[in-house]
Amino acid sequence: MSFRGHVVRKRLSVGSKSEHEALVLVTPDGQEYKLRRQGGNPFHDPALDVLEGQQIECDGIVRDRQLIMSRWSVLD
Amino acid sequence: MKVDKVIVTNRAALHNKYTTGLQRIDDAIGRLIAADRTRGLTTLSVAIDSTTDMRPVKASPVSQVLDRRQVKAAIDAVVTAYTPDYLLILGATDIVPMQVLRNPARGDGDANVPSDLPYACVAPYSNDPSVFLGPTRVVGRLPDLVGGDDPTYLVTLLGTAARYRTRPREEYQRYFGLSAQVWQASTALSLGNVFGDPSAMRTTPPRGPHWPDAQLALRAHFINCHGAPSAPEFYGQPPGQEEYPVAHEAKRLKRKVSNGTVIAAECCYGAQLYDPKDSGGQAGICNSYLADGAYGFFGSTTIAYGPSEGNGQADLICQFFLDAVLAGASLGRAALEARQRFAALYTHLDPTDLKTLAQFYLLGDPSIHPVAAVPHALSRTKTFKKTFRQAKATPGARAFRRERLARTGSNLQQSLGAARLIRVTWPAHVTRVLRAAAKESRITELARQSFAVSFPRAASTGGMKQFATARRGRSVYLLLGERITSHKVKRVVALAATVQDGVIVHLRRVHSR
Repeated sequence: MSFRGHVVRKRLSVGSKSEHEALVLVTPDGQEYKLRRQGGNPFHDPALDVLEGQQIECDGIVRDRQLIMSRWSVLD
Repeated sequence: MKVDKVIVTNRAALHNKYTTGLQRIDDAIGRLIAADRTRGLTTLSVAIDSTTDMRPVKASPVSQVLDRRQVKAAIDAVVTAYTPDYLLILGATDIVPMQVLRNPARGDGDANVPSDLPYACVAPYSNDPSVFLGPTRVVGRLPDLVGGDDPTYLVTLLGTAARYRTRPREEYQRYFGLSAQVWQASTALSLGNVFGDPSAMRTTPPRGPHWPDAQLALRAHFINCHGAPSAPEFYGQPPGQEEYPVAHEAKRLKRKVSNGTVIAAECCYGAQLYDPKDSGGQAGICNSYLADGAYGFFGSTTIAYGPSEGNGQADLICQFFLDAVLAGASLGRAALEARQRFAALYTHLDPTDLKTLAQFYLLGDPSIHPVAAVPHALSRTKTFKKTFRQAKATPGARAFRRERLARTGSNLQQSLGAARLIRVTWPAHVTRVLRAAAKESRITELARQSFAVSFPRAASTGGMKQFATARRGRSVYLLLGERITSHKVKRVVALAATVQDGVIVHLRRVHSR
């Protein structure tokens, strides 16, 4: 599936054993997905840090509110 | 004929997945039933989608594989009719679905909580987790691979169960104990409680995931790390830093796990069953342990909880599971006792306690006894051996244990309270106290939640009558706040006030991990 939206940094799983900061894709209709790279570390993936604050489009699958991306590109 | 163990599965779903391979699975089930017979267990295989199999239990067959209401009703009917001592759910969630419960810790990132807890409870179908506070049944799930089409995995697991052997306690005394470094104090406490000595604990960082073969070959594993959905790794974390190095990997388990290994994993999503295609073809850590000969894996389907210091929630339920296994319980009884002991710790379950009870479950054949119980001296006498010549153990003992477990579960169901989310304005004094506590803890407020605590009717009778009035107005107020640590890392802290009859009776501060 393809997605498009704005990437922000948020604190997730608040109060749980795995509370952490992560990049989240906010889509135009307000849906939020934690971003993850296929094969990347789901908690902190430096390869994705450059996406913070950017508008992106990407392909991937959604599992448990995580968007596991196989491809992405930054929109101008 | 007394049925000791029932294997429930959905035959049409198995056929849809495996087509030509179904005969291999049938043969493996037959070998497990035969092996059970040699252990004195009468085992029955029931297809919950079969009219023929469901007619004797006076229930409708399941017509839609993923219809959870149908599946719950069918399994309840099977258990009611045969009253087995062990219930084995055969297949992953695309064969026999988990029940999907509302997430009591709303807002933590999980939309809901997939759970096998309802199958352990008499209460009928519901998506409300607070309906399932009194588990009484000994249940385990032997999974295949979600989305798979090769029966080899399931046939392997059935073979492991058929050939299992009970070992002396000494073979489980040395352990592989793995912790995220940030939680090492909590993990050390858990390891000390279960094994008596936490000194063998390993942490990530600085080590992992290349664990020595000799470490992985130990038969008791206790893991307290981070986990993520559809991820074949667990992760560590240094204190005060947002770094999550890999601590444990599914791909490194192959041919490293000893036959008979038992694992308790506190990790978020530690026992999630997901399609390996979601992670580049690599099955999850729980699936990989079982494929390599582990007998049982006790873990969570979703985001789990635990305090930063001391023990709570996930720490406790995992300890209780291993405790029972080491004492000689079957895997299924150990899972049931863990649930019951955990629930019995409290007068009422707050949202994170309730989620803990719902999310932890057993992967493995529930009738397996990994560890030999220490027999009493009388069992070595001639009279005892002559009296119970036909049985390897006293035949009444398991029946007594089931009676005790049913009593404990029934008592919990009738007496335990649970917190339910409500929308109310906070009382002024609660606001004042929690704000003051937040200021003192250097916390910036993020959100507030309110919960009413309700109890079953029977919880206000007999000896409990004296508490009925006092707890009538019991409620919980939660202030979620944020604190900047010395490392400039934001940490969320929850402050909870329990109020009774307008008076604050308990204050609790829970640190995020």
